Amino acid sequence: MYFAVRHVSVYYDKVRAVSDISLVMDAGDVIAIIGANGAGKTTTLRAVTGLAPVASGEIWFDGHRIDRLRPDRIVGLGISMVPEGRHVFPFMSVGDNLLMGAFARRDRRAIEQDVERVFARFPRLKERRRQQAGTLSGGEQQMLAIGRALMARPKLLLMDEPSLGLAPHLVREIARAILAVNREEKVAVVLVEQNSRMALKVSTRAYVLETGQVALEGRSADLLNNEQVRRLYLGG
Amino acid sequence: MNYALIALGITLIFAIMGVLNFAHGQMYVLGGFVTYYVYGVFGLNYFVALAASAVTVACVGLVFERFLFRRVLRITTREESTMLLAAGTALLLDSLGLALFGEKQRGVAPVVAGVYEIFGAFVPASRALIFVLAGGLVGALLLFIQYTRPGRALRAIAQDKETAALQGVDIDRYSALGFALGAALAGLAGGLLVTVFAVNAGAGTPISIKAFIMIMIGGAGVVSGAILGAFVLGFSEALGYFFIPGSTTYLMILVGLIVFLIFRPQGIMGKPWG
Repeated sequence: MYFAVRHVSVYYDKVRAVSDISLVMDAGDVIAIIGANGAGKTTTLRAVTGLAPVASGEIWFDGHRIDRLRPDRIVGLGISMVPEGRHVFPFMSVGDNLLMGAFARRDRRAIEQDVERVFARFPRLKERRRQQAGTLSGGEQQMLAIGRALMARPKLLLMDEPSLGLAPHLVREIARAILAVNREEKVAVVLVEQNSRMALKVSTRAYVLETGQVALEGRSADLLNNEQVRRLYLGG
Repeated sequence: MNYALIALGITLIFAIMGVLNFAHGQMYVLGGFVTYYVYGVFGLNYFVALAASAVTVACVGLVFERFLFRRVLRITTREESTMLLAAGTALLLDSLGLALFGEKQRGVAPVVAGVYEIFGAFVPASRALIFVLAGGLVGALLLFIQYTRPGRALRAIAQDKETAALQGVDIDRYSALGFALGAALAGLAGGLLVTVFAVNAGAGTPISIKAFIMIMIGGAGVVSGAILGAFVLGFSEALGYFFIPGSTTYLMILVGLIVFLIFRPQGIMGKPWG
């Protein structure tokens, strides 16, 4: 299995935020993790990136066991994160933000080419390349966060609530960008979303989290038609 | 310019680690003494002495970061813990300085002889050299932070530590670099100013306080603020000593600072790092 989370539990102080979660995905796939606030979606991603300590269980990626590694080592293996709330570096220029995304790489010429590729994908960023990232609009910051994550040339892209706080037309734009990135850059995507409809449309498989556990899993198309999912997460 | 070096050093450490380096003045004094011994006593080249000051104090900074601050920052989130630790390191360096170097005032001969006349004012060549060196160092530091890969990493940590880690920045390594660099700046400032003012083992605390004043004026953790604060303090001092007798100057500066902080507590450029 390309990427697998096996029976992972994570504690914050003494409170168990995630208990005995297991996820699997193949290379190049798009999976979604949906669920209410506090269901453990973000915590799961933090465990994968090494920001939250894994109390028990294992995480495997591309033949490496990564649940004991530091965040910077995990990035080096090919996992990039688009954090919740975008978290661009506000007082850095758009260009420097992108260069930070390539921090783990040393191939200077290829990095410059990749900056141009990100600009080709998101032309708005190119217009603002010298502007401080904190002055961008929410949608632009989200594009920058995605572009920055791509700069690491990841094999797996983790996205935490990329649609949060964006207008509907921007949500559609982000959804298109996710699919395009997945196809063109051959990047596997784990999409964590409160916007369950968007997440289920974009992904091939999905996991539904409830109070820190996997309540339901299956093909996204099936979950879209699942009575329980419709009632609880799709609003009717 | 020398004040700018001091203020930039303490700003760097504060922005990267969230630690207010109480021992900054003591590090400055240590840098002064290293230059005094290498250049004044052993008679080696002045630039060798300056480099020795920078390296020595950077090592002290590294040791502090690696064995004291890193551990305390890991086990506690309470700010007063690191403040107490920082105050402790200042006392430690104070006592060590007194034990090692004695209580005497130590100065060195001017690095270059001669006097320049600039716009009708007579400036000793030695002072001019120090000014230019300090200016060059400030410029080099700013370029380093703005345009190099490690510089970007330091800015990223200052702005958002977790996200910096997510880009592949080894936080421990670069925090150590930031602390060492900040300390080295204090050492360099000491090595530069010892040629003008001389140092003694007790001079650390007043310098630390001056450093705090500068970053309070400018805004803590902001590079432009540090430089601005340094100039404001430098000019206030110069004007004060010229027009007002004796120690009244600092009383007025401190009163002015308090009034200023009531209206603008975040300092002139108050915002996170840029």
